[in-house]
Amino acid sequence: MSGGEMILEVRDLRVRAGERLILDGLSLAVRAGEVHAIMGPNGSGKSTLTGVLAGRPGYEVVSGSAVYRGRDLFSMPPEERAREGLFLAFQYPVEIPGVNNVYLLKAALNAQRRHRGLPELDAFEFLGLVKAKLAAMRMDESLLNRGVNEGFSGGEKKRNEILQMSLLEPTLALLDETDSGLDIDALKVVADGVNALRGPARAMVLVTHYQRLLDHVVPDRVHVLAGGRVVKSGGRELALELERRGYDWLRAGTAAA
Amino acid sequence: MNSPSPIDRMTAVRPGLPGGPAWTQRRERALATLRERGLPDRRDENWKYLDHPRLAAYAFETAPAARAAALPEPGLLPIEGARRIVLIDGRFDAALSNRLATPGLEVTDLGALFKQEPGAALEVLREPGADADDRYALLADAFAAGGVLIRVAQQRDIAEPLYVVHVATAAEPAVQHARLVVQAGAHSRLTLVEHFVSAGDAAVLGNLAAEIALAEGAAMTHLRLHRQAPAAAQVESWRVRLAANCRYDQHLLALGGGLLRSNLHVALEGRDAACRLDGLFLADGERQVDLLTRVEHHGAATKTVQDYRGIAAGRGRGALNGRIVVHPGARGADASQSSRNLLLTPLAEINARPQLEIHVDDVQCRHGATTGTLDEAQLFYLVSRGLDPAAARALLTLAFCQDLIGRVPLEPVRTAAQALLAAAIPDRGPSAGTG
Repeated sequence: MSGGEMILEVRDLRVRAGERLILDGLSLAVRAGEVHAIMGPNGSGKSTLTGVLAGRPGYEVVSGSAVYRGRDLFSMPPEERAREGLFLAFQYPVEIPGVNNVYLLKAALNAQRRHRGLPELDAFEFLGLVKAKLAAMRMDESLLNRGVNEGFSGGEKKRNEILQMSLLEPTLALLDETDSGLDIDALKVVADGVNALRGPARAMVLVTHYQRLLDHVVPDRVHVLAGGRVVKSGGRELALELERRGYDWLRAGTAAA
Repeated sequence: MNSPSPIDRMTAVRPGLPGGPAWTQRRERALATLRERGLPDRRDENWKYLDHPRLAAYAFETAPAARAAALPEPGLLPIEGARRIVLIDGRFDAALSNRLATPGLEVTDLGALFKQEPGAALEVLREPGADADDRYALLADAFAAGGVLIRVAQQRDIAEPLYVVHVATAAEPAVQHARLVVQAGAHSRLTLVEHFVSAGDAAVLGNLAAEIALAEGAAMTHLRLHRQAPAAAQVESWRVRLAANCRYDQHLLALGGGLLRSNLHVALEGRDAACRLDGLFLADGERQVDLLTRVEHHGAATKTVQDYRGIAAGRGRGALNGRIVVHPGARGADASQSSRNLLLTPLAEINARPQLEIHVDDVQCRHGATTGTLDEAQLFYLVSRGLDPAAARALLTLAFCQDLIGRVPLEPVRTAAQALLAAAIPDRGPSAGTG
């Protein structure tokens, strides 16, 4: 478990959206090679956590810090976080009619490569690469030439997120409820995609409401979020316990604490 | 509002106009109406958004003789096989036009027609009425000395596009009036590409009065690409008449010039006539694009689809006054109008004013207008993938009108429109990504 490079260290993070304090003293440390699951009831701050880490507008960091590979994450604009290897798989991937899906994939990959001083891939190299990834995600090639997520089914959108992730090979992947709204076959494909990316150099944070994704992607650590902070951490068994008992017993715990 | 009257400034040139006594009379009639009513101003309901002082500041005196005319070659569209019709300062130029000799096509210099057959010119050129929306056409009626008449014989399919290049060459501020008439015979087909360019950067006002008449079963595709110099202004008054079973498709690409006011009046007179109007304008910098469409359904089962998109940036201003009128005879008519607008900067402004006037049951009419800014969720999605924010904005701006451009049927026109847009949108990204 320990020993990998520290990828993300969040300390005592307080984040406000409008008037509301959503994250209230959240701490989290994720090392290379680890997969962490963050679970919690609706409204516990799960999506705020991934959003603020990826740089989504609309949040105010009140106090606390987030250090990504030794650098202050909040000092970097969102595009730089992405180029530095942070990837957010959206809970609700946005449809962008008029922007070609394959163009976005190529622009994203080449933005990252430029940032790292690598030569850009030409159209031919890129297409070869993306087609291999596409086959692995069992996605139809026709999706490449559609508008970004335009008219995609729920499952296709989520697979498209994982496709982007596998192409960009992030150092830190944040998956925001990627399992929601998927039938069991799509869930398997998504889980396979995630598992294929597990590796000693990569850290992953899976945000999920249900534990069924964790049947397929076995996490190293499970954290329970309630009231904007981590109220309990444990191994995989914690997820199973949550499945059995629900979240209420933990909420009672927070109130008592 | 319209003083010091542009009309008084113009009367001096009248004696030089061709056409003999019959035309002198007709021009007097036009002038009398203009003197009495003036040019439209912001009190006229379809003219309220136009920057009238700005338009009135243009010279309303006719230009001195044009310099030796030359085409701005690099600016021409490489349309394969095009039959080129060149109007220099509103006058047909036979020497610069080419490939017009083909069976079924008749291209006539209206300047020559005025002189040689003034009676025929009276018949060919519609006499505008006193209505405010027709007032600039009336102005052209009073002062235009030339233009072009295009006739396509019945049953003829002119496969190669007719490419009409309107060139403004005046080195000094001036007004240039022109007439354009298209008469398409029954069951004929043609594609007309109109391209408005400037040879210099003088503050030239172009005033075009144009008529299109499609006889039964005719089909016409009409492209209008505006890319004059920033100092130029252009007022156009179009009358389009469709007989039964006609098909008329227009693609307006207003991507240049300083000010464009376009009045488009389409009358679907015959049964089953159908029309599609696509329009894209970019009002950036100080540009103003002000469109009026009036679509009148007279015939039964007539159909129109209007899809207008506007982008405004800088201090640009855009307007669409769109009226659909369904007359009592137009049972089963189907009319829709959509106006979607994108504001890129806080000082930019677009006004959309759709209006429906329905005088019969059993019709389908829809209209909708939206004006908004770029979608923040889409922007964040792109930026979260590592794209530069400015490039992401440019990409979304191009994406906003991509389907409209994709429907432009000629590749060189599409490419020119893409290039003009990409060049105008600040911090553009690679344009290859849209489509």
